[in-house]
Amino acid sequence: MDKQEFYQRLAEILDVEEVKPENVLKDFDGWDSLAILSLLAMADAKYGVSVKAEEIRAVVTAEDLARLIEAKRK
Amino acid sequence: MNFTFHRKRIAGVLVVVPENERSFSEDMKNFNFPEARSLKLKEVMGYDKRRVVEPGVCVSDLAVFGLEHLLGEGLLKRDEIDALLLVTQTPDHFMPATSSLIQGRLGLKQDMLCLDINLACAGFVIGLMQAFMLLEQESVNKVVLINADVLSRKASPKDRNIYPLIGDGAAITIIERDDEDSVIHASVKTDGSRAGALIIPAGGLRLPSSPETAHLEEVGDNNLRAKDHVFMDGSAIFNFVQTEVPPLIENLLARAGVTSEEVDYFLCHQPNRFMLEKLADKMKVPYARMPNNVVEHFGNNGSVTIPTVMAYNLRERLQREQLQVCLAAYGGGLAWSAMLLKLGKLAFNNIIEYK
Repeated sequence: MDKQEFYQRLAEILDVEEVKPENVLKDFDGWDSLAILSLLAMADAKYGVSVKAEEIRAVVTAEDLARLIEAKRK
Repeated sequence: MNFTFHRKRIAGVLVVVPENERSFSEDMKNFNFPEARSLKLKEVMGYDKRRVVEPGVCVSDLAVFGLEHLLGEGLLKRDEIDALLLVTQTPDHFMPATSSLIQGRLGLKQDMLCLDINLACAGFVIGLMQAFMLLEQESVNKVVLINADVLSRKASPKDRNIYPLIGDGAAITIIERDDEDSVIHASVKTDGSRAGALIIPAGGLRLPSSPETAHLEEVGDNNLRAKDHVFMDGSAIFNFVQTEVPPLIENLLARAGVTSEEVDYFLCHQPNRFMLEKLADKMKVPYARMPNNVVEHFGNNGSVTIPTVMAYNLRERLQREQLQVCLAAYGGGLAWSAMLLKLGKLAFNNIIEYK
């Protein structure tokens, strides 16, 4: 999985210019139920994995999120 | 589970929506939620206007209003109704069946079958299947299928996850035998182990309504909900639809020997615009062939959404010609269903307002 591309997609969902791996997801204003739903859709459409909302809520940083989706692909 | 039906057709569709319209932007002012995010929700999910009943209005009121319209306009004759099927999750009473109340209020003949079916958003396709099966009987020539819900009455006004998107309404569909040698394919699946994803926890006998079940509880994200209210796990439902519906439709089309391109329209249940766009993307169907605009005009009115898609988007066309359509309905149960049929030459295909 192309990490840079993933962070770019995440930035679009959160309505920000850029997301860095160490950024804490909860610190973004746009981190809400709509963002989580958009992430589920992105994980399904772009990476072919089904992620649960609880799993997404449990991760802390953007990098954790990338790892979660990467692990599901294997 | 697969089904095949022969020589059956939909003869007409009438949708009844309450006159009372609410706006998403107005509703969102009652929530402690940033306006920019509300606008984003509106834009992405397609939430805008919706129709809800005034306090006290029940399913039988909407159904009787619609049937009286059809009888008054001469589009349906009182004595030709051999069966009345009502699909609802919000009946007037536990007992008796609301379909009996409708029959009684309209003074229909005694020589007929009245049946309530407890199904949510999957209820249009499964209701049609029941109608087709009844039409196998020689004594049954015309079936009236009513899909109706007033779920707004069970939604917490303090729950942003559901209150601003629910609509109320009723659809009356007339089903009869087809003189042509038509074939209709359908498929249904159920998974009760996931029933908790869409549930009204209290009010039945498992957990009767009480002052405790009416108490509003903090359920996260500043939302308040009581056990008497409807709960929806939106993200679980999203995953459910994306995972289960595309293969159901693919298998249905393969069994019928019809390609996706040969289907004029995919008329799907309408939870929100976002979910339908993702479903269309996954199935590689252009948005124009899978309409997704019911929620923005009427709200999600449960099993009434598919007739609403037909009447709102294809009103004249379905009266004039016949189209190859694939219906897909999915929701509480969980249950998911699809049906491939030739739809058209309808005697009527309208939306009227309940006043």
